[in-house]
Amino acid sequence: MNRFLSLTKTLLINSFGISAVRAKANKNKAEYLKILGLGLAIAVGVAPTIVLYCNLLIKGFDMLAPVGQEGVILTLGIVLVSTMIFFFGIFYVINFFYFAGDAQNLLALPLKGWQVLGARFSVVLCYEYLTELPFLLPPIIIFGIKSGASPIYWIYALAGFLFIPLLPLGLATLPTVVIMRFANLGRRKDLFKILGGLIVLALAVGLQFFIQKSGPNAADPAFIMTLLTDRNGLMNLVSRVFPSTRYLGIALTNADKALGLVNLLIFTGLSLLAVALAWAVGDKLYFNGLVGSSETTARRRKLTSADYERLAAGSPALLSYFKKEIRLLIRTPIYLMNCVLVNLLVPALLCIPFLLQSHNEQGPMPWESLTAKPEGQTILMAVIVGAAVFLVSSNGITSTSLSREGKEFFISKYIPLSYEQQIKAKLLSGYLFGVIGAILLLIAAIILIPLDMVIIGLTLIVSLIAMVPVLEAGLLIDILRPKLDWDNEQKAVKQNLNVILAMLCSILMGGGILYIVIRFIHNPILAALFMLGSFGLIAAVLYFLLMSKGITQYSKLES
Amino acid sequence: MIEIIGVSKSYNQGAVKAVDGVNLTVKNGEIFGFLGPNGAGKTTLIKMITGILNADEGSIRINGKDIRKDPIEAKMQFGFVPDDPNIFTRLTGLEYLNFMADMYNVPSAKRLDRMQSLLQRFEMSAAAGDLIQSYSHGMRQKIMVIGAMLHNPSVWILDEPMTGLDPRSSYDLKEMMREHADTGNTVFFSTHVLDVAEKICDRLAIINKGKVIFCGSKQEIHEHVKENQSLESLFLEMTENE
Repeated sequence: MNRFLSLTKTLLINSFGISAVRAKANKNKAEYLKILGLGLAIAVGVAPTIVLYCNLLIKGFDMLAPVGQEGVILTLGIVLVSTMIFFFGIFYVINFFYFAGDAQNLLALPLKGWQVLGARFSVVLCYEYLTELPFLLPPIIIFGIKSGASPIYWIYALAGFLFIPLLPLGLATLPTVVIMRFANLGRRKDLFKILGGLIVLALAVGLQFFIQKSGPNAADPAFIMTLLTDRNGLMNLVSRVFPSTRYLGIALTNADKALGLVNLLIFTGLSLLAVALAWAVGDKLYFNGLVGSSETTARRRKLTSADYERLAAGSPALLSYFKKEIRLLIRTPIYLMNCVLVNLLVPALLCIPFLLQSHNEQGPMPWESLTAKPEGQTILMAVIVGAAVFLVSSNGITSTSLSREGKEFFISKYIPLSYEQQIKAKLLSGYLFGVIGAILLLIAAIILIPLDMVIIGLTLIVSLIAMVPVLEAGLLIDILRPKLDWDNEQKAVKQNLNVILAMLCSILMGGGILYIVIRFIHNPILAALFMLGSFGLIAAVLYFLLMSKGITQYSKLES
Repeated sequence: MIEIIGVSKSYNQGAVKAVDGVNLTVKNGEIFGFLGPNGAGKTTLIKMITGILNADEGSIRINGKDIRKDPIEAKMQFGFVPDDPNIFTRLTGLEYLNFMADMYNVPSAKRLDRMQSLLQRFEMSAAAGDLIQSYSHGMRQKIMVIGAMLHNPSVWILDEPMTGLDPRSSYDLKEMMREHADTGNTVFFSTHVLDVAEKICDRLAIINKGKVIFCGSKQEIHEHVKENQSLESLFLEMTENE
């Protein structure tokens, strides 16, 4: 088989763990049932969100059809997916192209830069298809059925589905490959790589704002008129976030006309061009960014007795285990990017667009009217607490804390530190970053919303308690089904279902409590007390479970 | 002292018996070598002794402490060098040693002395402040050995400890094993290198397909071995596929 195809196939099998699942299932047929059960559980978990999304789309279609703007639901879906693919793509490309432990093993094989980059690109592409599925399938199907689309529409939709990730992923690859080429210099390679990743992200965010800002002012009445009167004018506006998506939007809404075909061809052409460009640049630069990237420089300086005194100070075992967790989280680039920096980036990303907007337009924020009334304050508090809960569950620190140990898990088994203490240390490490994330989130909220001190204080206290059950649930999930068998760190955090399960838990738990608050409680102090009570109660129950079932299961785990 | 009583372990719901009814006693004051071909069950048994794996049957006691019933006390009795030294590579050598010292509650003053003398003995003083990631395989092995000895345990459990060590360090480790045993302590180690086993072990056991097929002292080996026959040929003969 062609080297490129063979490599792609091998990487795909390895990344998705296909052989491993097959091997397990061969030994025990129940493994298939387990996978099926898990898939069903996730499907049931996300079903309400999908239903809500579909309802929104259907309503949107019905509302926009009379003004000839129904194409917007398609373009919105395409833009949403393209933007997600672009941002996820940057993370995937950095992690999978550069940080993955096996990235360098391929250097010894007689392969060209584009072959390795292309094979890795293809694997990431497959992940992106999975990302695309829940977001794009609903608008495509709803638009197709409701507009009574012809077979050509469905063929174009399939082509669109397959081609959509190419351009954003190509665009994510290009700057990453260039910046990583130059980040692979100097002594602190790990640090440079992380900085490189951040620069790519910053560029991406900057580009998005530039594109958004370069258009006409959305508040201009004349512009709104053109939007509403011009067929698909709104679609053109929406697609400005990712200009090429416009062509696919037009192709799908005009599937039966020559215009549709022309636009589809432009879209596929642009997508292929982006891939070709990314691969061509990758062919020249990829290996240079990779060769020697794992080298670590050492000073080999003899330590003085003063150094020993300073460095070898003892601490209690639990604290020492906690410090070890923190050090490994911060020093492993993949963990730093995915578990730690998320806590800092999300509040920043939430803040920036609104800040830019407020400076440009000087108009009131949509929520400013809320801050005056107690009901509004309650809603804002619940939303901030909800965001903190979600942030803590999505950073995956506790829901991957055993998984991250991988082959090193045996150390936790033979050291004379009780499982109880280890569980506590792991919870604490999650809590530390949770607190940092919640505080930053609150700072972002304070910048955006003129909240009074009491509300700020209450929100902080509730957030600090609300994150506890989320952290506990994550850890419990990871103790029950740790992913210890991996060959690169990315699999422990990025390709770990436990993070998704923990997020689902937080959505169910947080969503339920916050729903009650927003729906029934209109006083911020009562709301805070209710949230403290309910999150506290769940925290107590989960803590009890961790200290009983969790410890039993921990002691049964083998590596 | 290590007592292994009727220990068995199987995988795949009993389909593969990795360790099958092993009985062994490693006495104080002896170096006990554990030999066997690849996949014979050496590492599985060591993992059960150290609490990494749970035995399906039987019990294991270290200095009288049962690893299942009294795990923390049992774990305090031994120092363990795993067969793979590629762990905690993003910590510095000193951070790793400190971590291990904290786990075993080694008081600050004692750990300083011990760390310095062990680092010096293994010529690792200059590298202690650097990330383990920057170490060669042998250096990683050395830092594991030092980490296992920090709390001065009476029982040493070493899984392939000589792998990757340079001749000097290998010699030093063998000397240390001898000294440790001669002062009334226990050394239990697995190896592939028959010469090493023959030279430094007081007693040794050969395991094959999960079963101990030979266990005896140096003298017993010599009685077992025909004239001019080496341990190597005895090993090959015993572990040959039936």
